[in-house]
Amino acid sequence: MSGPDLDLSRVWLVDPASGREGPGEIVVTDGILEAVTWLEGADADGIDDQGVIVVPGFIDLHTHLREPGNEDAETVATGLAAAAHGGFTTVVAMPNTAPALDEPSVLGRILGAAASSGSPVELLANGAVTVGRAGETLAALGELADAGVVGFSDDGSPVRSASILRNALAYAGALGLPIVDHPEDVTQTAGAEMGDGVVATVLGLRGWPVAAEATSVARAIAMLAEVLPDVPGARLHLTHVSTGESLALIRLAKARGWPVTCDITPHHLALTDEWVAGARRFAWDAVDADGVARDPWADGALLAAPYAASTRVNPPLRCAEDAMACLAALRDGTADAIATDHAPHAAVDKAVEFGEAANGISGIETAIGLVLAAVDAGELPLARAIAALTTGPALILGSRSRRGGAAGLVEGAPADLVVIDRSASWTVTAAGLASRGKNSPLLGMDLPGRVLVTLAGGRIAYESTDPG
Amino acid sequence: MTDVADPAGMADPSADVSVPAIVPAVGVPSVGVPSVDVAPEAQAVGWRHRHLLDVDGLSADDLDLVMRTADAMREVLARPIAKVPALRGRNVTILFYEASTRTRVSFEMAAKNLTADVTNIAASTSSVTKGESLVDTVRTIEALGAQMLIMRHSASGAPYLAAETFGGSVLNAGDGWHAHPTQALLDLYTMRARLPGGSVAGRKVVILGDVLHSRVARSNIWSLTAAGADLWLCGPPTLLRGFEAWAGRGAAAGRQFTVTSDVGAALRDADVVMALRIQRERMASGLLPSLREYAARYGLTAERLAGAKPGALVMHPGPMNEGVEIAADVAAGAQSVITEQVTNGVAIRMALLYLLAGVPRA
Repeated sequence: MSGPDLDLSRVWLVDPASGREGPGEIVVTDGILEAVTWLEGADADGIDDQGVIVVPGFIDLHTHLREPGNEDAETVATGLAAAAHGGFTTVVAMPNTAPALDEPSVLGRILGAAASSGSPVELLANGAVTVGRAGETLAALGELADAGVVGFSDDGSPVRSASILRNALAYAGALGLPIVDHPEDVTQTAGAEMGDGVVATVLGLRGWPVAAEATSVARAIAMLAEVLPDVPGARLHLTHVSTGESLALIRLAKARGWPVTCDITPHHLALTDEWVAGARRFAWDAVDADGVARDPWADGALLAAPYAASTRVNPPLRCAEDAMACLAALRDGTADAIATDHAPHAAVDKAVEFGEAANGISGIETAIGLVLAAVDAGELPLARAIAALTTGPALILGSRSRRGGAAGLVEGAPADLVVIDRSASWTVTAAGLASRGKNSPLLGMDLPGRVLVTLAGGRIAYESTDPG
Repeated sequence: MTDVADPAGMADPSADVSVPAIVPAVGVPSVGVPSVDVAPEAQAVGWRHRHLLDVDGLSADDLDLVMRTADAMREVLARPIAKVPALRGRNVTILFYEASTRTRVSFEMAAKNLTADVTNIAASTSSVTKGESLVDTVRTIEALGAQMLIMRHSASGAPYLAAETFGGSVLNAGDGWHAHPTQALLDLYTMRARLPGGSVAGRKVVILGDVLHSRVARSNIWSLTAAGADLWLCGPPTLLRGFEAWAGRGAAAGRQFTVTSDVGAALRDADVVMALRIQRERMASGLLPSLREYAARYGLTAERLAGAKPGALVMHPGPMNEGVEIAADVAAGAQSVITEQVTNGVAIRMALLYLLAGVPRA
């Protein structure tokens, strides 16, 4: 089968793997990235980063594909199509399927579904830490590692017992794989409905304290520190970190040289708790000059009806100060990656009372739009944003991804890249999302940056058919 | 019966004799006050809300209109036959997902006083365990012909979900911890009726008790700050969680209120003291040591009330735990307007049903 040809001259290239960014040209022949040319001097005149940009394909460390068990919300095929639409060429499926991915046959099943979907997007998976994600006994970690999982997670819930977490860090560490922890002290979040704070107080919703995440982050870091002397290969990855307090703890752990990494979702960077009340402005527009959250009621910022179930997610949308802290952590490198926590749900699971609604945002297709909105607002340098979507997660995956621990624009390799028109915006609509999960609070909004083409493994994963 | 002005053509001479003659309201100013004897859609009174879901969406003008309409309804209630045909032929469904007697009956009487056809539905507390979703239930109620839906639900925000689905008007009769708009409006009405000068502006109003779990407190924060009251919230710190931060935001937005656990400071020179119900389950969740301790430290007793202004109004949204959040002698004392709140509740609910009925359906 012959691969696609692509010849893009006078575009803006961002290649975090080589640390370069600037005007350039790329040539793809038969799916192979044949030439990457950096333009200089007069050749580069008039090319800036506001037009068409070409970047390595994105890697999502945290994707829910719902297959097996919940195919009305998503399938491997629709999830991979959604990934490609969002510019992602590698995704890591989370193991909270039914049955859970706690032994190799489930992995075989989803890899088979990926193969039969025909999608060129690379599908990787985390295995469960404990059998049935029940938090009691260790899953078949070694067998799962042999079968090719890239890490272990009981995502959706934390590893409940600290001693199990300790054992898992040690056992997985010896296998060279990280524990991917969902930090949440469930004793503090029983019945919680949205992020704690003024908005929750006003709306009368049970608050989800910042401390529930921070104490769980502290616990996981403390367990890692104890395991490290025995198992130097132990690694902890904290996923969907959402608060400034948690990030302060992670910053401290990194300063001590402990192997802790973390990711932040696009919605925790850009959206805030006031979206639950009906605001539809980004975090950086929701703070005053001193960085303090503004009052959406006083501002007349409440444009949508409150209690939209599409804004219910775990971890919850936090106050604007936390979102700004997440952006700061991405800028200073405390956060290694942006991961989507793409959590598609069937409409019926969201068309209920706010507190009863399933947690999660269908976010893999809107991720780059939210990130570019932060770039446009001056909150994130473009190169850093792209690095957090490419080289950052690639380093965490290492050689278990076909990207080989890097995610660069590598000449001679099968093309893994995204072409994005930053001068174009697009309107998020239910019909326009390839995901079965239409549960996005961004429906009806315009996002910057249209993905024109996604090439994965030398093949076309997505190509815009919109002439606009 | 025939020589009365009838612009809406509502006075059908062949109507059931139990429907009273339409008599012009007596003593009600004619300018800017809706005449309750005219069909709601037949007069422009400046009401624009199709639903009543919350108090935060009501302007000062809206509050004023509700108060004036309630005045007209009080006048109806004082008639020998307290009934007008304003909502004749309209189907009002009362859907309660939480047990309640007083609020449900108050709404039912209000609707019946306006000659609406009333259907009561007591649903199980959780739509999830019941197997039928709230959305399905609301769709069914609409298909059965309901034009107005009065709803109580234990989940904050549930009426918004209903309003998204329902083509008529949704009237929130209490949702979770979030809002109880008609209670706040009847509280404001009662205060205006009883306070010298007929206004709460500048008056010290204290809400005492379990503020955290109270939809009454939350709705009163909006209406009382909009009306310019000097509002104080008081209770044990565990039952005030999050309100200090709200007060800080509110102050910046010109909606000032004070939050304190110092009951003496709260009651000092108060014009109005509203006690809130304390529920037993607050002990189980570790928020309070005991009801006894609560009564001793925060109960509204005659001694504590003596710290307020002489003649300060005593209010309670009900149902009361006498001897816990309020002493029996205070509840039944000369300063208590608790039963008046109940009567005013009917008038306020009639006013809101009337105003909502004047807004076109979706």
